[in-house]
Amino acid sequence: MRTTVTARALPVVPEALGFFRWARIGDRVLLTNDAGEFSFLSEPDFRAFLSDTLSPDHPQRATLQRQGFLRRGLDVNGLAQRIRRKRAFLGNGPHLHAVITTLRCNQSCRYCHASRADLSRIETDMSLATAKSVVDFAMQTPSRHLNFEFQGGEPTINFDVIKFIVEYSREKNRHEGKELVHSVVTNLTAMDEGKAEWLIANDVLVCTSLDGPEDLHNWNRLWAGRGAGNAWSEVMKWIAYFNRRYVELGRDPDLWHVDALMTVTSKTLPRWRECVELYLQLGIRSIHFRPLNPFGFARKTWQTIGYTPQAFSATYEALLDHVIELNLAGEQIIEGTAATFLKKILTPDDPNFVDIRSPVGSGTGQLAYAHDGTIYPSDEGRMIAAMGDDLFAIGHVERSSFEEIVQHPTVRAIAVASLLDSLPGCSDCYNAPYCGVRPLHNYMHSGDLFGQRPNTPKCQEHMAISRALFSRLAADADGSLEGIFRRWVIERPRSRDTQPPQTR
Amino acid sequence: MTAPEPPSELEPAGDIPEELTITLDERRVSFVLDEELYPRDAIYGAAYLFVDRAWIFLTRPADRQVEVRLKPKDVDRVERGTLEALAGEFANELLNQVLRQRVGASTRALREYTLARALFTDDTQSSIDALLAELDAEELEEDELEISVPWRTEPTSADPEGTGG
Repeated sequence: MRTTVTARALPVVPEALGFFRWARIGDRVLLTNDAGEFSFLSEPDFRAFLSDTLSPDHPQRATLQRQGFLRRGLDVNGLAQRIRRKRAFLGNGPHLHAVITTLRCNQSCRYCHASRADLSRIETDMSLATAKSVVDFAMQTPSRHLNFEFQGGEPTINFDVIKFIVEYSREKNRHEGKELVHSVVTNLTAMDEGKAEWLIANDVLVCTSLDGPEDLHNWNRLWAGRGAGNAWSEVMKWIAYFNRRYVELGRDPDLWHVDALMTVTSKTLPRWRECVELYLQLGIRSIHFRPLNPFGFARKTWQTIGYTPQAFSATYEALLDHVIELNLAGEQIIEGTAATFLKKILTPDDPNFVDIRSPVGSGTGQLAYAHDGTIYPSDEGRMIAAMGDDLFAIGHVERSSFEEIVQHPTVRAIAVASLLDSLPGCSDCYNAPYCGVRPLHNYMHSGDLFGQRPNTPKCQEHMAISRALFSRLAADADGSLEGIFRRWVIERPRSRDTQPPQTR
Repeated sequence: MTAPEPPSELEPAGDIPEELTITLDERRVSFVLDEELYPRDAIYGAAYLFVDRAWIFLTRPADRQVEVRLKPKDVDRVERGTLEALAGEFANELLNQVLRQRVGASTRALREYTLARALFTDDTQSSIDALLAELDAEELEEDELEISVPWRTEPTSADPEGTGG
């Protein structure tokens, strides 16, 4: 059967336009450019913009000109400087250094990405000699900021290595003069007062996993075997301990407190509201609603704990609206991924969040060090190796030079596979200035670094989050929402040079 | 008299019709596109954005023509309205792709220059450019010794001290 469909062509005078990308968000047209600037236009104004018939006294004309969307009067040098500032992370070198102090862990979470080993497997502990080599290697980075992030297994089980790396890196830094940060991503179930006081006294940031109410947390994060207890109760106890001690020591609780990450399983989706309430009760002002990664146990347990990208996005939007409502009612709480995108959208800078940038930070913004000193471009590479595929091992702290690692063909391949300006589907996507792809995710999902953009869960997730934010900004007639969003992107002094822990 | 140049790969040669004739059967929709109206890269670009929703088959029924056949992946929900909507969305995306290509081609040199300036010009060069711009803007005869020429630039994340060095 034959019939016709109708589509109206857009008249365009390309000589009058600067480079831009666009999308329709509701009844508005969103323009973005390489500097990350954006403007909304009505559909008639968009047509006038394209055909160079926008009235000289149109209220948005000056803004469009300043942002570089119009060719006439374009300040090329100014635009170049804004792009340069937006991409300031390029060439800085790896700043995030994930150190796997041990694979041993007392928990066995259903979605474990980290390839845990039983507590008896002491051969999976990093040695002090390897730890020294890690520090010597990592501090060769040209980056002025350097964050040692301790991961595992449960990293505090090998606490001597944490202490050694903190002390040795600080000693070494007397000559290097870098801005050093240390953070530990811990399940808090192997914590004791001695470790806690040492972490507090030595300014080691503490981040834990908190997946929601007691039954949900304990269902996600199994703790069985000798010495097992109630994981959720331990997390509650130690969050309270750390936060109390920070206050007793006179530290600003807005800056010094335990941060928490939430990994979303199918059990979380219908209970997101309870999760938000719990975080509020605990005074945790940043809720980071993170989807499952296709690594480790999560691949085996997907039938039980997994969900579709559409189900995640729908829940995410509901949670985002609830968090916005809480802000409108005076609560100070943010959603972490939204804050990362908003920093890119609303400020002239990029937060250099290694997982959402172009190119992705693997190898160029971060490195990961396995317990045996093997180097990976990111912790994801180490997780893939733990699943039996050592494709992303790029060297060893005792045998590789820093130049060999950062110029490794694998690092280059990952950079090429994540440079949005050259990827089909991304290069002309309105979200390109704010987005990032994850080649190692693609590799796990489809068997190649590139993947097909519309078929990758990360593309669907990022597009859903971006559309959710822009559609709300488009409807923000009085600017009240933008005011809230701008508060979300204010950086606190303590975290200025610190990446929130990103993997686990 | 010289022969007219063949149409550019990037630019449609004529006005794009507002109606696209489509052929429907029970499970798929197809239509033929003229490459002189829809550059091949625009067809590829539009097709790529549908890979999550449809199986896409491209064939060449005649010179400079491309036939697009779309078969929805969600086979349980295929009905005439769904197929027409899919074809309509594809037609809209084709127009978007044509526009993207025209803007991309028109701004290519400008964009390459801007990005080269952004990424491959060092701060020293930027500060010299800024200084020259100021010199152009100022009337030097009012400041013969150029005492007022600033050597500091606005602080940036790359240069927090604003030394310009």
